[in-house]
Amino acid sequence: MNIKKYFKVWQITTLSATQIAFASRFGALIFIVGKLLRFAFFLFFLVIIASRTKVVADYSLWQVIFFYATFNFIDTTAQFFLREVYRFRAYVVSGNFDYFLTRPISPLFRSLFGGSDILDTVMLALSVIFIAVSAAKIGNINLTGIFIYAVLVANALIIALAIHILVLCIGVLTTEIDNSIMLYRDLTQMGRVPIDIYREPVTFLITFVIPVGIMMTYPAKALMNMLAAQSIIIAFVIGGLFLAGSLKLWRLSLKNYTSVST
Amino acid sequence: MKKYLSVAKNTWAETFTYRLNFVVWRFRVVLQLLTIYFLWFAITIKSDNIFGYGQAQILTYVLGTSLINSFVFASRTYGVGNEINEGSLSNYLVKPVNYFMYHFARDLGDKAVNVIFSIVELSILFAILRPPLFLQTNPVLLLLTIVSTLIALILYFFLNFLIGLVGFWSPEVWAPRFIFMIVITFFAGGLFPLDILPSKIFAVFKILPFTYLLYFPLKIYLGQLAMSDIIIGMFVSLSWLVCIYLVVKFVWMQGLKVYTAWGK
Repeated sequence: MNIKKYFKVWQITTLSATQIAFASRFGALIFIVGKLLRFAFFLFFLVIIASRTKVVADYSLWQVIFFYATFNFIDTTAQFFLREVYRFRAYVVSGNFDYFLTRPISPLFRSLFGGSDILDTVMLALSVIFIAVSAAKIGNINLTGIFIYAVLVANALIIALAIHILVLCIGVLTTEIDNSIMLYRDLTQMGRVPIDIYREPVTFLITFVIPVGIMMTYPAKALMNMLAAQSIIIAFVIGGLFLAGSLKLWRLSLKNYTSVST
Repeated sequence: MKKYLSVAKNTWAETFTYRLNFVVWRFRVVLQLLTIYFLWFAITIKSDNIFGYGQAQILTYVLGTSLINSFVFASRTYGVGNEINEGSLSNYLVKPVNYFMYHFARDLGDKAVNVIFSIVELSILFAILRPPLFLQTNPVLLLLTIVSTLIALILYFFLNFLIGLVGFWSPEVWAPRFIFMIVITFFAGGLFPLDILPSKIFAVFKILPFTYLLYFPLKIYLGQLAMSDIIIGMFVSLSWLVCIYLVVKFVWMQGLKVYTAWGK
């Protein structure tokens, strides 16, 4: 795999996506403001709940904010890089996916990374600021914790990548579902708060079946030294299994692609 | 009237065209409800009384929000902006149909699907989760809840329609709707009962129209409002309804003056 070539392709497609996004500056501005408001409203809700009741699973206010900021960072990073997945169904329905298959680049790469969303960069920056501030407020953080946090965030992004590949597979296998990516978004919303607050079997389901907990809660817990070593190992195993499984299904779905829309 | 009934029926049928898509969509609705339900369940399980709400009341509020949401917020008026931009509005202008009534009929068809499925889903969730719920038995309060919900339905229709009319002046119709949905979910009380906010902020919320879309009908149902507050609330929401109706009419007339059907 020629990394330089693929980086160039990403650059070109992202530049095009950026030009499209700013074709209407008013629209771009409204979208950014909307994303910021969405972030602020839920943060406001968390602050009210955590500061006035002290009942969000016994976490302090800054810990709750740290969980939320980490969730936003992972969620927004995945959206930033993988925005093309949201447009994938249209390519299959219109028959344009055929052109992905005939070009000398991986169709999977093109379907995943074919145009990052520049409008997400504001949210990304804001998430980083909130992570840094809330981590500083929590205190008692060491270098090992930061390292494990970073690695688990990377693992979360791999799981997000795997789920986006699964969404592509659904897009290839059936054109009937147009909101499967939104289903993923709804599921991950459960990770805006530490998943410990949910009851069993929900906690089990969103940890091991749909690994929202591993993606969103584990990294923050690791930084706060609240995560057992075996949980870290399980997180990587699940990340690896999800990626391997999604790649296998992608190959299988390509074999079943009928190009019926063309 | 018959033609609008047909429009509502067609909208109903349209929803079931892509059945798998429909199933996924309903699954998403349930998932969104469960997310907020479990969050509130966790918050209330450790405290009998939170912000003046018992566990039964707050969970009734959350589940009630879902039901009223399906009735008030289910709408097809998101197509208005696109129809203006694409020029397909012309098709309606030359036909013997009232464009407002046409979209209202579509809304009703959509709401019927939403309400029926929401009741089924909530019943299943109730059977599984067995949440402690508050049941209102006062017929006057039940009637007032229904009346305030109907006002909310019409108010939301005109608010949503107004957002679509942006299409007369801008091709960017999705971005204003995106921000509108975010604002309305928060300001209407879709995330939490608005009276848990600091009193000064809540006082501002009470004069906004959004408060009367979800929060107000549910507060009436929960029996937490004095009759004087209900009367004031009804007056404020009806005033907003009249104001927004007049604004929509005015914007519609101005829009038609600049409409060129250039997409056609």
